[in-house]
Amino acid sequence: MLLVDRRIFKYFNYHLLGIVGLIILCGLIILYSAGFNPDAPGVPLGPFSISVKSSAFAKQFAFFGAGLVAMLVGMLLSTKALHRLSIPMYVLAIILLVGVMLFGTVVNGSRRWFSLGALRFQPAELVKVAVILIMARYLSRIKPPPGGFRFKDLIAPGLLLLAPMGFIMKQPDLGTALVVGATGAGMLLFAGINIRTLIGIGLAGIIAAVPVWYSLHDYQKKRILTLVDPAADPLGSGYHLNQSKIAVGSGGILGKGYLKGTQSQLEFLPEHTTDFVFSVLAEEWGFLGCLLVLGLYAALIFQLLGMIGRVRDAYGAYVLVGITTLFLFHIVTNIGMVIGVLPVVGITLPLLSYGGSSVIVCMLCLGIALGIGMRRYQFGQ
Amino acid sequence: MAFADRSNTNLVPQLKRATILVLFLFGLLILRLWYLQVVKGSYFKDLSENNRIRSIYVQAPRGLIFDRHGELWAGNRPSFNIELIQEDCPNEKAVMALVEEIVGLKAGTLKLDNPMSRRRRKFEPRVLLKDVSREVVAKIEARKFELPGVVVQVTPTRDYVQKELGAHVVGYIREISKDQLLDEKYAGYQQGELVGQFGVESYLEDLIHGVRGLKRIEVNAMGTRIGEFSSESEKMGNDVYLTIDAQMQRAALEGLKDKKGAVVALDVKTGGVLTMVSMPAFDPNIFTGEVSPDVWRDLVGGRPSKLNNRALQAAYPPGSVFKIVTGLAGLSENLVTPKSSVFCPGYYSFGGRRYRCHKASGHGWVDFNSALIQSCDVYFYSLATKLGIDTINRYATDLGLGALTGIGISQEAKGLMPSTDWKRRYFSKDADKIWYPGETLSVVIGQGATTTTPIQIATMMSAVANGGKVFKPQVIKEIRGGDNNILKEMNPELSREHVFDPAILKLVQKALFGVVNDPKGTGGRSKLKKFPEIAVAGKTGTAQVVTLEARLKHKDFEDHAWFAAYAPADNPEVAIAVLVENGGHGGAAAAPIAGAVLEKYFEGKSE
Repeated sequence: MLLVDRRIFKYFNYHLLGIVGLIILCGLIILYSAGFNPDAPGVPLGPFSISVKSSAFAKQFAFFGAGLVAMLVGMLLSTKALHRLSIPMYVLAIILLVGVMLFGTVVNGSRRWFSLGALRFQPAELVKVAVILIMARYLSRIKPPPGGFRFKDLIAPGLLLLAPMGFIMKQPDLGTALVVGATGAGMLLFAGINIRTLIGIGLAGIIAAVPVWYSLHDYQKKRILTLVDPAADPLGSGYHLNQSKIAVGSGGILGKGYLKGTQSQLEFLPEHTTDFVFSVLAEEWGFLGCLLVLGLYAALIFQLLGMIGRVRDAYGAYVLVGITTLFLFHIVTNIGMVIGVLPVVGITLPLLSYGGSSVIVCMLCLGIALGIGMRRYQFGQ
Repeated sequence: MAFADRSNTNLVPQLKRATILVLFLFGLLILRLWYLQVVKGSYFKDLSENNRIRSIYVQAPRGLIFDRHGELWAGNRPSFNIELIQEDCPNEKAVMALVEEIVGLKAGTLKLDNPMSRRRRKFEPRVLLKDVSREVVAKIEARKFELPGVVVQVTPTRDYVQKELGAHVVGYIREISKDQLLDEKYAGYQQGELVGQFGVESYLEDLIHGVRGLKRIEVNAMGTRIGEFSSESEKMGNDVYLTIDAQMQRAALEGLKDKKGAVVALDVKTGGVLTMVSMPAFDPNIFTGEVSPDVWRDLVGGRPSKLNNRALQAAYPPGSVFKIVTGLAGLSENLVTPKSSVFCPGYYSFGGRRYRCHKASGHGWVDFNSALIQSCDVYFYSLATKLGIDTINRYATDLGLGALTGIGISQEAKGLMPSTDWKRRYFSKDADKIWYPGETLSVVIGQGATTTTPIQIATMMSAVANGGKVFKPQVIKEIRGGDNNILKEMNPELSREHVFDPAILKLVQKALFGVVNDPKGTGGRSKLKKFPEIAVAGKTGTAQVVTLEARLKHKDFEDHAWFAAYAPADNPEVAIAVLVENGGHGGAAAAPIAGAVLEKYFEGKSE
């Protein structure tokens, strides 16, 4: 039996829910166009007796159905339950990562998936949530020394981060490994890192960049090099970048019109439903459309930041910090890649990119955020 | 403790910094989007249009070429090409093998004409077989269902209806060469296009070529056609009417059959070219297909080769035809009178040497009239030293000899009219730079270093007939555009003029009349049998190629036969020059051809 405190409704962040709803609406509208194929037979849309000529749209619609469930689950988990789940989740995530290394299905040269019949599950997505929870638990238990964490304080959380990152890099999935690392690093930064330590790590990072560069795969190196000179290999690794910039730029101020983006409709732009969905928005809706979506994303981030300030328990606050960092990193790196200022790495655009794993993890995280927010009355005054 | 109360205030600085960071990052993204979409928007818009729009060019039919009376010389016929459209063909190799089998070719002979470019154009047909027969078309069509992607494409191809009749005038077309592609004159042409390479086809390329059509189609990233975007239809080239008269041309071709030589006939009042034949000739149609090495060797072998227009591009010693110039010069310079006579014993002694007359027994006493009629060398030798080479050169040049006529349809040979100045410039050794008077003796009878092209001789003859006017020869009567309206019409162009004393011209013309009509004349065989009332005036020439001794050994050293004439003698309309290489005597080999061609002229007039 579920007892519901009325304060849950009082503290519920309806703004955040509304913003998420608007982003999902935009996402579906864009995805309908990105997956639009006038010659294809109609695909039934969920349980409704409508058929659409965009299979990506129809599937994404179903994913959001699952996503809503995930969001609800996230909301129902009490903060205490989350806190208790932190360690088992982390352990489970590591076990799944090891498992996928041994038994995973290879797709496009990467061993990232577990196949369960027609369904595919990517444990690395779960790692994102697990890392947020474990880091929040860790950070909420120790008080950073005045001036912030020093190097020796960072060893333990660093290992917590590097272990799953290492496994994910091995798959290989550079994008997700970066997301995990960046999320954890963002949380540590928020908790406070000693300025000298930070500079030291920065310098070490620059020095480490040299061996890292040599350990990168050739295709990864090319992606970075083409950022500097996309013309160097216009049909190879520069193709993505070039076509994406053409799509974005040719949208102009007002865009080419809905379903009229030639770059995506004529398939010049690869992966225009997933990682490059933002270029479809930019091409068809122009600068104004981009401003609208960026505005919604900014509102989402600011809502999350506002919640951090309002919650009264450190654990909940750090979970929110983690979720905020996760979204911010995803949004900035994905759009940065699409508009040609960051190298091409497989990082999705939250709530806009096509894909079940991405949708479910995003919705779960937002559910957790909403849950923490609405339960803040449970902690002090 | 994790759930310990904490004050909100201790997070404020972090949240502030985070807010600034978020604003900064979103600001960067917006700035970049502003740059791509607003600042460079139109640039990227062009690039995206380029991505999806492909242009296909449609060859325009070339303008037609007619003779002066509207008889078709160069037309267009449909040519059937077997082509393959890759986007419609699931298995290229199997289909190509089947085509080979159907047509009866050895396996593996068919190749796609150009390999897939990096910019994929799968919708564009690639030629498998060019210009195939209707029989092959029927075979392919019958099994079309087994040949996905194979299409029979009909393109206009040049058809030189008259074959070798107009070969050297009309010229031919061939695929544009690499050098031409780089040439500014051919700006906008594409690889594989057919362009005029010789004759009128080349001379008027820009007017005959037409404007190619353009289909702009939309394609996707795979190069598959999505739809047609826009199109501009091709525009046929302009039609050309030549000044040439097909009947005269046929007579000249017939006259030179199995011979080497050239015939040029000109309208003496305009310079319009009525006939221009060079033999041996070629069939310009062979250039539309592949030219085999054997055929090519045959075409370019020899000097001049079959491809050379002997009427313009080869220079020969004019022989006795040149005596017209010598005579005009002598009379005009008052060095001889019509009455003064010279005794011809069969030779002329000069500087301790005997210069032979062509008649070894001699002509006896000859005056100007009888000397020209009988072509007495001795009479003209006697003029040589009095005139001097430079005076002769002046008269010859005034009549257009040794100078380009400017006809334009092909590169011309200039020929050579020697002078003291020429010798000084041409030779390097001091001893060779001196002009010896003995050389003048050769020049006055059209030998020595003197060489002229047949068209120069015709032009000179025309000037003698019209009173000294040298017209630029022209082959284009008119150019007609769409709706048959005339775009350009021939205007006579005077290149130079020498005003002769009419009395002197009369004397020369009378002698030229005598050459044909006097019983002693050398050119009697040019008389018009069908039109006895129309008199021809002319001059024969028999030009030595080498010395008498060498000639006896080899057929190739046989004299060149010349005949230059105009008609009607009393009111000239048409001038003609006939050259038969190694033809022997001008009166025997060349004069009858001139007569036959002139007859056609008057036949055409009387119709």
